[in-house]
Amino acid sequence: MSAETWARVSNDAFTVAFFAYLVAMLASFHYLAFRKRSMWVVAIALTLVGLTAQLLSIVARGLAAGRFPLGNMYEYSVVLSFLVVLAYVVFVEGLGKVRTVGGFALAFSVLTMAVAVLFLYVGPQPLVPALNSYWRQIHVGSMILSSSLLALGCVVTILYLAKERRERRAAEALTPIMGGAVDLDDAPPHFEAGADEPAEPVASPRRGLLPAAVVLDRLAYRLIAFGFPIWTFGIITGAIWAESAWSRYWGWDPKETWSFITWVIFAGYLHARATSGWKGRRAAVIALVGFGSLLITYYAVNLWIVGLHSYAGVG
Amino acid sequence: MRTALVLLLILALAAVAGSLVPQVGVADARIASMFRAHPLRARIYDQIGLFDVYGSWWFTFVYALLLVSLGACLLPRTRGLVRSLRSRPVPARELDTMRHYAEVAVPEAPDRAILGARRVLRRRLFRVSGPNGLGSIAADKGLAREVGSLLFHWAFFVLLVGVVWGKGTGFTGQAVVVEGETWVEAHANYDGSVREGRFFDEDHSGVQIHVEDFTATYRPTGQPEDFVTSATLAGSDGSATRSVEIRVNHPAEIDGVKFFQFGYGWAPVIRVEKDGQVLLDGPVVCEQSAPPEGVSPLQIPWNCVVKLPTLDPQVGLRFELWPDGRALYALLETGKAMPMVTEFAPVMAYDAFEGDLRADAVQSASVLDTIGMRRFDTGVVGAGRTADLGDGLTVSFPELRQYSVLQVTRDRGLPIVLLAAILILLGLMPALYGSRRKLWVTAEPDGAGSLLRVGGFALQRRSRFEEEFTKVVRDLGRTSGEGMGT
Repeated sequence: MSAETWARVSNDAFTVAFFAYLVAMLASFHYLAFRKRSMWVVAIALTLVGLTAQLLSIVARGLAAGRFPLGNMYEYSVVLSFLVVLAYVVFVEGLGKVRTVGGFALAFSVLTMAVAVLFLYVGPQPLVPALNSYWRQIHVGSMILSSSLLALGCVVTILYLAKERRERRAAEALTPIMGGAVDLDDAPPHFEAGADEPAEPVASPRRGLLPAAVVLDRLAYRLIAFGFPIWTFGIITGAIWAESAWSRYWGWDPKETWSFITWVIFAGYLHARATSGWKGRRAAVIALVGFGSLLITYYAVNLWIVGLHSYAGVG
Repeated sequence: MRTALVLLLILALAAVAGSLVPQVGVADARIASMFRAHPLRARIYDQIGLFDVYGSWWFTFVYALLLVSLGACLLPRTRGLVRSLRSRPVPARELDTMRHYAEVAVPEAPDRAILGARRVLRRRLFRVSGPNGLGSIAADKGLAREVGSLLFHWAFFVLLVGVVWGKGTGFTGQAVVVEGETWVEAHANYDGSVREGRFFDEDHSGVQIHVEDFTATYRPTGQPEDFVTSATLAGSDGSATRSVEIRVNHPAEIDGVKFFQFGYGWAPVIRVEKDGQVLLDGPVVCEQSAPPEGVSPLQIPWNCVVKLPTLDPQVGLRFELWPDGRALYALLETGKAMPMVTEFAPVMAYDAFEGDLRADAVQSASVLDTIGMRRFDTGVVGAGRTADLGDGLTVSFPELRQYSVLQVTRDRGLPIVLLAAILILLGLMPALYGSRRKLWVTAEPDGAGSLLRVGGFALQRRSRFEEEFTKVVRDLGRTSGEGMGT
């Protein structure tokens, strides 16, 4: 097939994926509200259809452009939204066995795709020489994989904050339950107990729209703790690539600067989790700040700030 | 550690300022225009170092503070880790108050049962101490978490030091080398475009690069496809020559000095004679001004200047080079700008001025100040042709060459920084995913056999420890049973 045909296949598959996600999102929200099992089945089925279509769209895009389809903002956005949904299906539905938060993950992907097709679309085309490096696949791939994990972690964090608030309100009249008896006396002072554990629930989890705050909190932590090393790896491979393309591994280019800021904020989040008194809500707020920084790194730097990464943008 | 994080965040925010305000050496033109448009604001920015954030005293100060704070935090932690690596797990009593507790009845005598328990825990990679006289053992596992965490933080420390040392003792600059010429790595040969580190010891390498050929290829759409400089590298004594192809993403290296493809341009060979006497014969580097909005740099001509100060009156020649001569005629006939991607019948339009070159006032070789000069001739000269400017002055254009702009860099910190980055990743894994677990087992007589009491807890990943604890308890019962059989 010719490049034009592949480009058309890619765009059509994109449309299929977009509407599949959109309907799956609505079905998932319906399940969240009314707990009809059939709606969950519809949501999962459509999500899988969307994933398949989107994978096709990405592959066709690569064939149309004759290169790995991670060359500009449109392609990053498509792959990002794909990975967010994939990570959701694998980690949240599969491993976490949490069924009620799908709508939020899908909403993130639907928005990302809408922005991509409305503001960032460019036809498939070959790359300028500086982008022509095998480091591109490794660097951009790991950045997008980690972005999707961090983004999903932050979606879950928002849900955690909402749920935690509800549980706290409900428990205000109740006496707090004491935490488990852990003997810390023989542990060195820097071993923080339960660094990756959720804050002790103030009230017992109650039946409600969302899973218990404890579950959401742990899920968010796991996703971010998984995404952070990959983000680190992405920055390092980016530096290696920059060394060969631009003669320096670090030059405080806006994209570099903001990826570093995002790294520092999530590092702060991980430290906060290990510090007593900073678990739960306060750590969640840091994660949200990190999410804001991630969005700036991802969108604002390419679209509004001039730097070496500008050509990875929309033109 | 909190102080270090805050300092790190301050550095990051300073970097934001650096990414929004134009920086010295990166956007000098924008700084100059800011000084013209908003003199007061520009002066304030200049005073507080906003035009050179990464070189400002306060950035250095915060960086130094970060190193001190990180080191001060890591030293005691490292001592603590060494202590806990050396010490054995300590015995505990009152196992039944622990988060996880179980009792297992085994048919063996207590002293044999406790040895069996020890084997079970060893097999599960616990560090075990005991049994002591009281018939109990203590075990722990997961020190890798703290080892990884410290490795991560020390590697980050080394990275910060490696960055400063590498940049500080190194240099980076741009070399402009015309095809067929040789360039020697030395301060004077950068024409002022070199930036040397704070601790730079004036030890330029003296390595040489001879550029044989430069080729730029473009796609039919005008998008660049490849830039290649074919060159020969030689050490400072001219030995150890090596042929290389330098292209974007593929630098060449000799003696720790790296050459990167940065840019290119055109250098016509110009020969000027006055009454048969050769005044100038060689390639002249042409430059390009920024194209107007919506015009590709490929569509506009290149400019260069030749100054002849020995003539009386002095003569200055201004050239406008069209590497593809068809573009000039297309522009003249249709008014449309055509992209010039390859050399094709190149032509140069020239303006000749006579008068005072004011060599003391005009420093730049590429600028001709025509105030106080009179234009006495103008015309066009094609490649291989000679133009007669009158009064015995002739200009020939024997051939057109290209020049390659190479970024020349030496950074000795590179291996350190790379190694540190790898160690950061290696340390991060156990630091994030490891968990510290402690277990104790005691055995006491119970009828014919003995009763094992097992207690323990995990400092992280408690839910997973629950499974592990269950398995340990199961193994304790089973293994002891096997021991009975033999």
